[in-house]
Amino acid sequence: MRRVVRGIAVAAVLVGCSACGSNVAPSADSSSPIGRPQPGAAVPISRLPVVLPDLSRAAVPVAQQLRERYSSLMLKAGSSTTPIAEMAHDYGEMGKLLMAAEYRDAAEPCFLNAQALAPDDARWTHYLAHLYRLRNEPARSAAMFERTIQLRPGDAGVLSWLGAVYLLEGRLEPAESLFAKALSVQPRMAAALFGLGRTALAKGDYPRAVKLLEEALAQDPLASAVHYPLAMGYRGLGERDKAEAHLKQRGQIEPAPPDSVLSELNGSLQSALAYERLGTRALDKKEWVEAAAYFRKGVELAPDSASVRHRLGTALFMTGDARAAMQQFEEVVRRSPDFAKARYSLGVLMLTGGRESEGIEQLTAALRFDPGYVEARLRLGEALRRRGRFQESLIQFEQTLEIDPRNAEGRFGFATTLIRLGRYRDARVELIEGTQAYPRQPEFGRALARLLAAAPDDSVRDGAHAREMARRLLEERQTIDLGETMAMALAEVGQYQQAAALQREVMAAAAKAGRPDVVRQMAANLALYEAERPCRTPLRMDDPVESFEPVP
Amino acid sequence: MSGEFYFPENMAPGVGLFDFDNDGDLDVYLVQGQMLGGGRRANQALFPPRDPSALKGRLLRNDLRVQGDGTRVLRFTDVTGQSGIEARSYGMGVATGDIDNDGCVDLYLTNFGPNQMFRNQCDGTFVDVSRHSGTDDPSFSVSASFLDYDRDGWLDLYVGNYLDYRIEANEKCFLVSGERDYCPPTAYRPQRDRLYHNNGDGTFSDVTGKALVDGDFGPALGVTAADFDSDGWLDIYVANDNHDNLLWMNQRNGTFRNTALLAGAALTAEGKAEASMGVDAGDFDNDGDEDLFMTELTGEGANLYVNDGSATFEDWSARSGLGPRTLAYTGFGAAWFDFDNDGWLDILTVNGTIAAIEALRQADDPLPFHQRRQLFRNLANGQFEDVTDRAGTTFERSEVGRGAAFGDIDNDGDVDVLIGNDAGRTRLLINNVGSRKHWLGLRLVGEKVGRDMYGARVAVLRPSTGARDGPGGLAARANGSRVWRRARADGSYASANDPRVLVGLGDSAEAPRVQVVWPSGRVEEWTAVPVDRYTTLTEGGGR
Repeated sequence: MRRVVRGIAVAAVLVGCSACGSNVAPSADSSSPIGRPQPGAAVPISRLPVVLPDLSRAAVPVAQQLRERYSSLMLKAGSSTTPIAEMAHDYGEMGKLLMAAEYRDAAEPCFLNAQALAPDDARWTHYLAHLYRLRNEPARSAAMFERTIQLRPGDAGVLSWLGAVYLLEGRLEPAESLFAKALSVQPRMAAALFGLGRTALAKGDYPRAVKLLEEALAQDPLASAVHYPLAMGYRGLGERDKAEAHLKQRGQIEPAPPDSVLSELNGSLQSALAYERLGTRALDKKEWVEAAAYFRKGVELAPDSASVRHRLGTALFMTGDARAAMQQFEEVVRRSPDFAKARYSLGVLMLTGGRESEGIEQLTAALRFDPGYVEARLRLGEALRRRGRFQESLIQFEQTLEIDPRNAEGRFGFATTLIRLGRYRDARVELIEGTQAYPRQPEFGRALARLLAAAPDDSVRDGAHAREMARRLLEERQTIDLGETMAMALAEVGQYQQAAALQREVMAAAAKAGRPDVVRQMAANLALYEAERPCRTPLRMDDPVESFEPVP
Repeated sequence: MSGEFYFPENMAPGVGLFDFDNDGDLDVYLVQGQMLGGGRRANQALFPPRDPSALKGRLLRNDLRVQGDGTRVLRFTDVTGQSGIEARSYGMGVATGDIDNDGCVDLYLTNFGPNQMFRNQCDGTFVDVSRHSGTDDPSFSVSASFLDYDRDGWLDLYVGNYLDYRIEANEKCFLVSGERDYCPPTAYRPQRDRLYHNNGDGTFSDVTGKALVDGDFGPALGVTAADFDSDGWLDIYVANDNHDNLLWMNQRNGTFRNTALLAGAALTAEGKAEASMGVDAGDFDNDGDEDLFMTELTGEGANLYVNDGSATFEDWSARSGLGPRTLAYTGFGAAWFDFDNDGWLDILTVNGTIAAIEALRQADDPLPFHQRRQLFRNLANGQFEDVTDRAGTTFERSEVGRGAAFGDIDNDGDVDVLIGNDAGRTRLLINNVGSRKHWLGLRLVGEKVGRDMYGARVAVLRPSTGARDGPGGLAARANGSRVWRRARADGSYASANDPRVLVGLGDSAEAPRVQVVWPSGRVEEWTAVPVDRYTTLTEGGGR
């Protein structure tokens, strides 16, 4: 990569360095500068030129922050009385800011200068190590981590980082040694356990890999990234069930080594996107309050950013403050009317808050701006169905299936809406296909059992089959609605006494669960069974049989 | 490039090598884009074309002449005008295959917009059968693969679709500094891929919903079909951008199941879903099964997933050396090929970033995405050596590489590479290395259909090749044992490759024995197949 040296900046450095001696610049790999500096003394030390990158396209707060810091640095660099320690600090601070803004090439000479001026300060080699890592130069990164360890031998975090770099390079033995060393300093460090476990996995030592990765998870249960290599470890041991169980829990949160320099970087740059990234990371870790704080800072810097404001709304909702969340979503919609995600979020909140018409309006608008927004379509379909607008609801589920024919929730919504429309034969076909296509989604079976037990259409009902299905479903899980289904099936096959007895049991359970509304609705069926008559209403108002939870 | 950071601008073009006129040499198809954004003209582009009216896909006929002394003289003639191929959409990639079994290779163009199918009429012309065939998918399609997944003798089609992206809904994305840049794929929703079944009558049926179960479609960029579990049925691997990759295992009943996650082929060893642009399947360790190689973004490193023979994979990216040595690069087109004909598959990656490179941007480079391409030599021990610096001055060029098609364009017995560059010239890299060693060239053709049999696997009983068959490990296993290769046109990125099989024999001039496993399941053998020339093996013609 070419390094651009701008004329004016170079002149400033040269003028500022009129007291400087040698013209030889320290290299990144030299172990010490020419002449060891005495702290507090103003000693002429060769320094690499530090040049601000072109900031003409950068955001104003970012450019301003960088220019201010740079002016301050140049002033001090131009003074022959600035103590070395202070100079080192200021170069380091400039480097950090440039690194936070991802101007990594520009950051390098700052850290190199800081290191040259303060060679015993491990921070600068530490920053350089991360800089080279982020610049995808693992060899240089490793060299700097090694220097950092020389200066700070007991730093478990740095030992672990170096191990990770070696692992990236495929150097398994040195990686293993470093992770082990990190653990000798800090025996329960999740990051080192994770690294050691991954090293064992790479070597094919599955028992050891599983043991170490399980320990890492025990130390940091939120480190969802451990699950995948752990799954591979169990796979190697032939324990497929455990492998699959861990695969379902996989995520992106890695157990991070304790690292003082990286945490200093966070929040140093006044950048909306930087805060958005920090906030997103906090969201991933379920740190809702921290996430909201980061997003709020992002919004302050970029009030028109629909994305940051929408995330702020999401974070606020997760903290339990639905009202504040709604305010943010409304503000997004006001500023960016075509930001479909905000309309969706607003719509969902409104529906939850009982503002059904408005919620439907927002979801409809979301789809106007983003017709492929499947989630919005599903929620709209449900909302329309709850309002009795069955034909419109059906269209939404149909369109969902046009976008994604394999969408299980869409197929289920389509089928249950057909029931509402009285199209029982079509519904049965869809539900039977659903049970075959989505064997892990029990909702299709539950709804089918209801239909077979209680559809008004004689050609659709099959009481014996309904009873058998209900029996199998109840073996897996006992719920009020499944109990009700079994009662319907029993009545359909003429076992009225048993149906009534079961219906009373289910009503008692509903009462105990604090659902008097459900108890009242069930009373109508009880009366039927007591009169030795079957049920002919497969779904009641707001029936939980219509709810759907996708299996990951 | 418009300067508006429209997504497709950074993703094309693919390129194609195929013999459209059946004269025995590979012709060239070049994919072309257009100006995006309503009302904008080509002369407003950041790199305006010389002749905006000529912006369409190009067919170039190879008029190769082999002189008496064996010297190859390559010359290409633009026959687009008389070919009947009108490709003025925003082209992304190309796939080739004989869809009607008439012995002439047809063309499928993936577009940002409706795809196009051109049927070769065997007279130098093509006819647009996009709508009639039912394959004019209007999605944002990138790579496609022709394969006979149900073994009925007709080539079916898998189309990898990318993102639900519209110009009018183009998001604005920024770097941490606030500078504008191209958006990541996560800014948009993925589109679902399509599997089309060839009905044998010029039409295809979309069987996606019925055939592809249990998998979450992602933004597909690379597609390759191979038999990963050696059960005689072709499977499909799809490289998705920032999303789990898919391994569609053929269930032998018209359906596929995605097993990528447990198979270790969806994510890296760290459990990360990486960018995954180019992809190829090949037996790099000569143990008889198909391994996977994928190019990735800067900072991710290319991935190598090693097959244990049962379609279960282990991530060898770091151990092989490929991961660390590609960390600083964003790779697109890539394929397994034996550049030096020593019998071991090597790798070439075509590079170029999608996010501006800081140093180039600061230097006001008008195209701050260019990078060198790389060449990796297989060391026959599970590791690779970066030989880019010794591979010739063409590897010093820094361009925005995208598609790459691999094939022996001068028929001299080594694999050459055609490269499509974004906002740059097309490059043709002529291999002058492999032909110094002995080689076996095979064209695998169907008995009744006269077309290249994609998916046909070839085992060459490899004689000793001297120095490269050293002691220990993989090299010892390969010494005198079988080397498996496969006839295919898919793989790489949005490109179509030479379907002939070229096997390097090193220093051995001995005519080997060859076994072919045809897509139908039939197995045949040929003895003493001549070396250093191309031989056509027709199904039914062996023992």
